[in-house]
Amino acid sequence: MNLERISRIAGLLLGFGAFAFATGACAETTLKIFVTSQGQPGIWRTVLDQYEARNPGVKVAIELGGATSDLQAQYLNTVLTAKDSSLDVLMLDVIRPAQFAAAGWTSPIASENMSSYLRAYAEANTVDGKVVALPAFADSMFLYYRKDLLDKYGLQPPTTWDELAAAAKKIADGEQNPSLQGLSFQGKAIEGAVCTFLVPYWSQGKVVVKDGKFDFDREAAAKSLALWKNFADSGVAKKNIAEVATDDTRKEFQAGNVVFAVNWAYAWAMTQGADSAVVGKVGVARLPAVTGGEQATCLGGWEWGVSAFSKHQEEAKKLVEYLSSPEVSKIMAIKGSLLPTYGKLYKDADVIKAVPWFADAQPIVETAKPRPVTPRYNEVSEAIRTTVNAVLAGVTTPADGAAQIEARLKRILR
Amino acid sequence: MTSTSKNAAGRVDARRARLSRWLDPDETTLAVLLLAPAAILLSVMIVYPVGRLIYTSFLDLSLTSGLPARFAGLANFQQMLDDPVFWQATWNTILITLITVPGALLVGLGLALLANLPFQMRWPVRLSLLIPWALPLAFAGLIFAWFFHSEYGVVNDVLNRIGLPGVIWFNSPRLAFAAICLAIIWKASSFMAMIILAGLQTIPRSLYEAADVDGAGRVRQFFEITLPLLKPTIVVALIFRTITALQTFDIPYMMTGGGPGTATATLAMYIHQNTVSFLDLGYGSALAVVMFGLSMCVTALYLRMIRGSESAS
Repeated sequence: MNLERISRIAGLLLGFGAFAFATGACAETTLKIFVTSQGQPGIWRTVLDQYEARNPGVKVAIELGGATSDLQAQYLNTVLTAKDSSLDVLMLDVIRPAQFAAAGWTSPIASENMSSYLRAYAEANTVDGKVVALPAFADSMFLYYRKDLLDKYGLQPPTTWDELAAAAKKIADGEQNPSLQGLSFQGKAIEGAVCTFLVPYWSQGKVVVKDGKFDFDREAAAKSLALWKNFADSGVAKKNIAEVATDDTRKEFQAGNVVFAVNWAYAWAMTQGADSAVVGKVGVARLPAVTGGEQATCLGGWEWGVSAFSKHQEEAKKLVEYLSSPEVSKIMAIKGSLLPTYGKLYKDADVIKAVPWFADAQPIVETAKPRPVTPRYNEVSEAIRTTVNAVLAGVTTPADGAAQIEARLKRILR
Repeated sequence: MTSTSKNAAGRVDARRARLSRWLDPDETTLAVLLLAPAAILLSVMIVYPVGRLIYTSFLDLSLTSGLPARFAGLANFQQMLDDPVFWQATWNTILITLITVPGALLVGLGLALLANLPFQMRWPVRLSLLIPWALPLAFAGLIFAWFFHSEYGVVNDVLNRIGLPGVIWFNSPRLAFAAICLAIIWKASSFMAMIILAGLQTIPRSLYEAADVDGAGRVRQFFEITLPLLKPTIVVALIFRTITALQTFDIPYMMTGGGPGTATATLAMYIHQNTVSFLDLGYGSALAVVMFGLSMCVTALYLRMIRGSESAS
């Protein structure tokens, strides 16, 4: 007997097994969805409970991912290269739908009209004219600031990084509190550090990819790295900023130890939560610009994809359509301070009552810039974030760091 | 006798002969039969995967490119030559081996000698020897990551209490490297200690008693009796330890993630990054082949050492 015949028979047997299992389990389908542990799974659970109540016969189980976007991607990479069918729906960082679609890991979603979503998300989830995922929530980086302290010293939210440094200095001199940091941002070699680098780089009017071609400005890159390094050297940011990840920034700001913080929208709900030291003292503004440049920020947000290996394609797509609906987007905005993916919700009275600053957030999200879109994004990210980390730790100079990023990106994005 | 009965007897004989050939095969067949299970197991579990790995290392195979695998000759190995991260990771791996293997041996030997002392209560000592070894590597890495954290870590707290300034351990390649080595030595020395303790217990007490009678001191006894008799045990422990040191992954992965920058990355971490994170299976396999070669060299070296010491004694 040749190998092909054996495998065909094995396949048939497996098929019968699956069929028998499917008919047996017809009464109840359990969908497993992969949710980032930072993505407030508790609130998603309430939304899923509602879905289960409306769709008898469907149960949804959450599988929690690692603490950072990179760890989750590593896990999903191993699961999906093995064509594992255990996950049905995947929550993906906005940088990944293109990559996952190129690898054939997500199923295209056919009948979806993307025009009701914010444009950036319609674009991020459409690859070669096909919808490959649907938006879960929008996001971009913002400047969180201590309204009470700025008021006390008669300061306005800064619009340039130089103004921010001066404001931080003034407050530090006045407060004389050694545990109060001027600025907290992400210096650890995590995905957030990619945005750390790109924000001041973009602010100088530069891009990484132009018309599909690699177009890098080394001087602007060095200036961006030097900006952050100077914050650490001058004491505006703490000395061990190279150890700080996104959620460290959130925790320290929430504990009242930070004047200015660069963070995503999710931090808001927690700074206004029960165990926060800064309830009612927080303002949110657009990220500052480099002097002479324009204000820029990094586009974030997460998407729902359907695994190409899921055995419940139809049920999974139905669930994803529900999870990306205006109804769910509104609930997540109110309960989780996750930015809506629909423009109309930014003017919704209930949403603005829960999160007042969302009223001004729509133009910021709409002008946020996406990180380079490429199937080899993981390599792009690695090249940038390890260099940011090395510069902030003082191992590499900003000029050398910029040259290293250029050399590595040139090879990846050629 | 009739011809029919003769035929029947012949058939019985033939059957008996066949049966006895099965029950009592000749030497060669027997050897093949007995070796077959091990040979099959080895080829399925080791020969095939290693062969496949070597084959893949000659391919241009990246899952993110969307292109099918293509034979690339030595391109992956060429790429390594001018890949600074590869050289740094390889050098770090060798350095970790050179530092932590002797380090763990010394600490482990000390611990084993302590545990071998005639205590009243031996089991608490032995148990505490066992714990670091029983702990998963990733746990150990995480524990030490917190120990050396610049703000919340116990190490800086102790430094502050004795009047020294705290240090940002993971900001400096050297300090981060030192912290990693310390964690590995802590973790590995208990394994060393247990093997050496087993070796110590095979040394007859009478030798020490005789040495006492002859007036040899403690130090002399150690160098003249304990150490020479422990040598075979130590060599075995060293082989195990060196090979695992060359594969160091978990502890630096948890403590620094290879940072600052890529200053503390090891070869195993770089392989993991290229295969699992970048999905570049061709380059990842080529890196793994290099690591495989490195391990083989070291093993060959030790085997030669053992053979040398055997023929000397």
